[in-house]
Amino acid sequence: MQMDATEAAAVLARARQGDGEAFRTLVERHSRPLFALAFRLTGNEQDAEDVVQESLLRAYRQLGRFESRANFGTWLHRIAANCAIDLHRSRQARRDQARGEQIDQAESIPASDQTGPGRLAESAEIAQRVREALDELSPLERTAFILRHYEGRSIDEIGKTLGLRTSATKHSVFRAVRKLRVALEVYRP
Amino acid sequence: MNTTHHYTEEDLILHYYGERRGAGRDVERHLESCSPCRTAYQAMAGTLALVTPAEPPARGEQYGLEVWQRIRHQLPERENAWWMAAGWFGRNHLDTAAAALVLVAGAFVAGRVWSRQPTPVPASANLENPGNPANLENPGKRLLLSVVADHLDRSERMLTDIMNATSRDISVEQAWADDLLNTSRLYRQDAEDVGEPLLANVLDDIERSLLEIVHSPSNISPAALEQLRRRIDAATLLFKVRVLSDELRRREGTPAERALPSVPTSRIS
Repeated sequence: MQMDATEAAAVLARARQGDGEAFRTLVERHSRPLFALAFRLTGNEQDAEDVVQESLLRAYRQLGRFESRANFGTWLHRIAANCAIDLHRSRQARRDQARGEQIDQAESIPASDQTGPGRLAESAEIAQRVREALDELSPLERTAFILRHYEGRSIDEIGKTLGLRTSATKHSVFRAVRKLRVALEVYRP
Repeated sequence: MNTTHHYTEEDLILHYYGERRGAGRDVERHLESCSPCRTAYQAMAGTLALVTPAEPPARGEQYGLEVWQRIRHQLPERENAWWMAAGWFGRNHLDTAAAALVLVAGAFVAGRVWSRQPTPVPASANLENPGNPANLENPGKRLLLSVVADHLDRSERMLTDIMNATSRDISVEQAWADDLLNTSRLYRQDAEDVGEPLLANVLDDIERSLLEIVHSPSNISPAALEQLRRRIDAATLLFKVRVLSDELRRREGTPAERALPSVPTSRIS
């Protein structure tokens, strides 16, 4: 759905005034890029759908607070990043409860034997290990890392998105990189 | 920095992501001459290169509409609703609203007392207010209601095909539904624009079912087909479509051309 800047601003203004049809236009326009981001943040199709839905509902609720000079897509992505953190937190809480006092899996899962598998099988195995390693990060580390590593956002932008100071944002990324290095050590070329 | 001092892992991570800004060249130079730092950097970069994003599953052109259909009934109350923020429920405005209400009530009573001539019911009157002659005076609206009646008939035929399908291959119906989907959406927007919320609502319901049909597998399983039918049934969609179509035809004075001999027509009493 293409629209020029003036038209987009008019739609946004109407949506902010409570026009449901205008909000519908925004939903239709932004859902696809929002899904792509949500998928990268969650790594799971169903979770991504949940994040898309929840982000849009939150956006609708908070639309009155949206500053019209800001970019709606950026604002929506910020909401999605925080929804993804909430989703991971609730998942992690359930997982921790189930796991009790078990040791940190990120350092205990051995990589599978390297002998024999073809290149494709190996890359599938690496992808699986990356997913597992990302799942072992804290919600904040995971989101900060993905926004930096996959989305190419700067540390400052990530800090604003997640409501963190620059130093806290950096440390989230550092911790994530460190944990990933441990988890992927055996695959290092 | 000389080769007796080394960069920390954190410095190297920031460098990898281009976050060192002005100092980036210094790091580059240091890495060229310092073997331990270069080795550490290459190890880290090699590991991070393994972390690549999975391709998101494809989402079609209609995805935004699907999302809207999923959330539209869940839309919560807005925070800081604009009319509240603007103080429309302040004391002065309530006084004004009360005065306006008295005027409207007075005008209504006057109309009842003095109006002796019955007003003819227009053919394309608002469905929720059929006696409103203002509706007839809009030729665009009259045209819209006429084409929507045709659209409802086509949608009814397609839905009936789905309800009575004996084959698992519904690709023909899907192509038909896809075709109807875009038209339905345009008509719904038009219906909203000309103040026909009832019509817009039914078109919205049709859109939802059309979407479901379009996104079902072409070679549908009997269980999935049964589920699809049940949902169409639960929404009493065929009934609504028939009633509305009949109503539009009746107001036009045009008999509905039906191709559904086996389906009884219903009418809201």
